[in-house]
Amino acid sequence: MSLPAPPRPGHGADPAPSAPVREGAEPSGPDLATTAVDAAVDAAPWWRGPALGVARWSAALGAAVVVYSAFLLARGADPVLALTAMWDSALGNPTGFGETLVRTAPLLLAALAVVVPARAGLFNIGGEGQVLLGAIGAGWMAFRLGDSLPGGFTIVLVALAGAAAGLAWAAVPALLRLLTGTSEAISSLLLNYVAGFLLTWLVFSPWKDPSSLGQAYSQRLDPNASLPVLWSRVHIGIIVALVAAGAVWFLLNRTTWGFRLSVVGGNSEAARRAGFRVSALAVVAMLVGGALAGLAGVVEVTGVEGRLRPDMMAGFGYIGFLASWLSRHHPLKAVAASFALAAIAVGGFGLKISTGLSGAAVNVLMALVLLAVLGFAQRKEAT
Amino acid sequence: MIEQVLYGAVRGGTSLLFPVLGETIAERAGVINLGTEGSMLAGALTAYIVGVQTGSVWLGALAGAGAGASLALVHAFMVLTRGANQIATGLVVTFLGIGLTALFGQEWVGVGVNGFGAVAIPVLSQIPVVGRVLFDQDPLTYLSLLAAPAIWWLLFRSRAGLRLRAAGERPDVLLAHGGSPTLVRYVAVVAGGALAGLGGAQLSTAFTRDWSEGMTVGRGFVAVALVIFAAWNPLRAIGGAYLFSGAIALQLQLQARGWELSPYLLQAAPYLLVIAVLAVLSRRRAHQAPEALAKVF
Repeated sequence: MSLPAPPRPGHGADPAPSAPVREGAEPSGPDLATTAVDAAVDAAPWWRGPALGVARWSAALGAAVVVYSAFLLARGADPVLALTAMWDSALGNPTGFGETLVRTAPLLLAALAVVVPARAGLFNIGGEGQVLLGAIGAGWMAFRLGDSLPGGFTIVLVALAGAAAGLAWAAVPALLRLLTGTSEAISSLLLNYVAGFLLTWLVFSPWKDPSSLGQAYSQRLDPNASLPVLWSRVHIGIIVALVAAGAVWFLLNRTTWGFRLSVVGGNSEAARRAGFRVSALAVVAMLVGGALAGLAGVVEVTGVEGRLRPDMMAGFGYIGFLASWLSRHHPLKAVAASFALAAIAVGGFGLKISTGLSGAAVNVLMALVLLAVLGFAQRKEAT
Repeated sequence: MIEQVLYGAVRGGTSLLFPVLGETIAERAGVINLGTEGSMLAGALTAYIVGVQTGSVWLGALAGAGAGASLALVHAFMVLTRGANQIATGLVVTFLGIGLTALFGQEWVGVGVNGFGAVAIPVLSQIPVVGRVLFDQDPLTYLSLLAAPAIWWLLFRSRAGLRLRAAGERPDVLLAHGGSPTLVRYVAVVAGGALAGLGGAQLSTAFTRDWSEGMTVGRGFVAVALVIFAAWNPLRAIGGAYLFSGAIALQLQLQARGWELSPYLLQAAPYLLVIAVLAVLSRRRAHQAPEALAKVF
């Protein structure tokens, strides 16, 4: 319970005493430098230690599964059957595991797109649109190049075009925030719908596959513009995403830029007094996020789809946002969070086949997991 | 054509006016709720199902408001009792609404409901142009136009409104007067969710009279943006809601008149308009925002 009133000395009338707040961990917002957090955790009393953490997480996740089962029951489906089918299709066999890895790649990149701006205290909810723009940029470059260049060059240029398009889309809310003070959360959110209409227009008009008849999809990308495959359907996108996670970790925790970003996110007034260019830092963080989300679109188009469709990546940006919050904006923990949410997403196929329920029903499980974790498994934070 | 656009703006704006009013109440108490989109979807589906099942659209609208309020209660509990982040929780609540309506709405796609029809008000509806635009609409639209001034009065002229605004501006003062900011915020967020649910109900039972997955297309998020446009004022909310729906109505008219531009690009225009308006107004609005909200943005 946190009243947004400025904390005042002698504010003794607080009706709901908040959970023990650790000294030194304020102000709230994205994590401060990891070292500070580690120190704070070391100083925590035993009952906030790892054992309780595991218990809290297990209880929270268990509760999410129980509530989800109740919803499935209410819908007239057998929850045991449904959950088993979800497990089987996502993790139960090599094919399913491969599919989960394939899905993890774009989700992890979309999560990192939230992680970097969050370090500066910004909300990038525009991942959905930036992912679509990444796909559009990749498609544009692939159609332009065709088979004119050797394969290696093509894919690199395609990836760069996608990242640039995602970056440009993120520049809009970043600059609006800087120049006009518009909330980047709201403008980036509304731009997602604009990006969706843009992609729909492209696949229905200029890029339409003439043989697609009434179906909406673009022409095929040239084989030169497809990502190399590791085994079966698993492409190197997962390697790209893991390398990106490592790079973001290094950038945020081991460079001066990352440290400055943490200061901006923790206390922008202190950052200003220290002489940091706060606005420039924040804008660049948002742009880096947009480029990462653009890459998510690239790996999905060049690794899985091979063409553009309007609903090809519906929800990827939002699930990335959830993955970032699930990992408390930690780039390496985001790997695990993205994998977990990817498994639930892929489990939707099993759910659909075994029970005939809409595949989108797995969004309920994702939301419940996030509610359980935000509200119960993690430390409380202000705002 | 102007009459067509105005008529379409009012008819299509109701599903936006209710959530803008609801979000205004919540934000005046100091809570931002991006779960508004989820509340709208829940309201749309619930009103639709109840309307089909019972044959009573009014019962449906009531149930829709209840569904919207239930999701808002989840948001309130997470944010107020568990101290979770408002923006993140709001999106998760919307995600929950998307998933639940996909789960329970599957069999109801394209069923069709005998929903709210237009009820012409005698005499007034005979006035040229204005009569058709304002007095030949569905009952929920009349309700929304009555709700706006009623909520304005409640917020700015009643004792309850004073306490609500205190919770959003100076919770410590409310506390010192023996009030509970938390309780006030709970009531405000849940009431806001009920209004968002009612907006969803108008969309599915009066506007389209059909249910389809994700039919709100971001109207709940647009509502949150329009609250800023309206400067947290329920009367200006009317203008905000009709601005967006007017852009949609205009775009539809242009399409009907065979404009060359692709319908998909035209559909994006109202969203761009809202972003542009926010960009122009944001600086001016910064000092008008309820103080407690500043901590969130």
